[in-house]
Amino acid sequence: MRPIFSLQQLRKSYGERLLLNIEALELMRGSTYLLLGENGVGKTTLLRIIAGLETADGGQFQFDGQPVNNASERAALAPRLIYVHQHSYLFYTSVAENIGYGLKLRGVPRRERETMIAAEMAWAGIAHLRAVPPNKLSGGEKQRVALARARVLKPELLLLDEPTANLDDAAREQVAELIAHMRDANNCVVIATHDKELSGLPDAVKLKLEEGRVMD
Amino acid sequence: MSLFEATHQAFALLLGGDPKLWGIIWVSLRVSTLALISAIPLAVAAGFMLATFSFPGRRVLVILLQTLLALPTVVVGLIFYMMLSRQGPLGEWHWLFTQEAMILGQAVLAFPILAAMTLSAVQSIDARAAETAKTLGAKPLQAVWTVLIEARFAVMAAIATGFGRVLSEIGCAMMVGGNIAGMTRNITTAIALETSKGEFAQGIALGVVLVILALAVNFAMAFFQGKGISR
Repeated sequence: MRPIFSLQQLRKSYGERLLLNIEALELMRGSTYLLLGENGVGKTTLLRIIAGLETADGGQFQFDGQPVNNASERAALAPRLIYVHQHSYLFYTSVAENIGYGLKLRGVPRRERETMIAAEMAWAGIAHLRAVPPNKLSGGEKQRVALARARVLKPELLLLDEPTANLDDAAREQVAELIAHMRDANNCVVIATHDKELSGLPDAVKLKLEEGRVMD
Repeated sequence: MSLFEATHQAFALLLGGDPKLWGIIWVSLRVSTLALISAIPLAVAAGFMLATFSFPGRRVLVILLQTLLALPTVVVGLIFYMMLSRQGPLGEWHWLFTQEAMILGQAVLAFPILAAMTLSAVQSIDARAAETAKTLGAKPLQAVWTVLIEARFAVMAAIATGFGRVLSEIGCAMMVGGNIAGMTRNITTAIALETSKGEFAQGIALGVVLVILALAVNFAMAFFQGKGISR
């Protein structure tokens, strides 16, 4: 099976420090990966480079077999490839509008959009928050909105950066549960995490980032 | 005429629908609105670019923009007077002492306020907003629009402030408009003229309108700023 994303000889330094030095990494369709490692080891940087939000100093990248070596080429893959921030940013509008943002960009007709938004809110357990602005949401609710907003676009590669960080236990459990149900057929999810609950995700492949290298 | 009598007459003129008085108010509103509409696209784009991109000379441009905030209106009036006068580089336009000249001058006055406040509005928006837009599939211009929408309350406050500035200025309007009755006489130039003639009633009536408009603008600004702060 062809990987959805692969990279070779990725190098990324900050000043004198070589943060990432990865010989090769392949992310397969239908798989969930847990990117583990100490704070500051480069998990976020790796996800952001894959998403095209940061440039690498060197390396070759392919998405679905096509070369995407330039960061702007990788960013242009959106929303086939979506990155969700550690502290998700919600636009200052309603929950429903947030979830429908990418659908609107894609030109999905209003009626169809409304149906998809309703289904997604039901999936995330936030149907009652439809008209609520982001400043009235708890951290856990915000994260569920961000997951629903990404999931509704059916990304082929979804990158989640510490999705349960800074949440209380109850909110973490809910978000962890959503992530466990998130993997759609043949899609790939990469989760950077410290969370023990997420470490227990069934069938997840653990990738440990250590001294800039990925250890299986 | 006592102050009380003059004020009484002023309200009689206003409420009686005096065509001369309302004509002056219309000139002010038309000129200032069109000046603002002309300045907004370029000023907002300039403010956005200065806030978002780093390039050589950016800092100098920001300092220049901040300096232009304090640009005296008579200086703008003088510059455009010289440019639009018959021997000036824009003399062929025949715009001197027309509303077009006033619109041009006021647009230039509004530009630094709009651009500087847009710059600060966009800078205050979290960098994750643009990244989130892009990762959800926004093209570069769509991401720019999303960030401006996120900064909408502060941008609206900038527009309200710019409107207040051009509506209440007199130096530029007087110099390039010429204060011609029925054509380029606006609220501020009319107040100056009527007061110099001792016609206080019309001056007070126009002053009342200007204060009401300034109050409306400030309420609008406070509303937009409040919306921005409460997020």
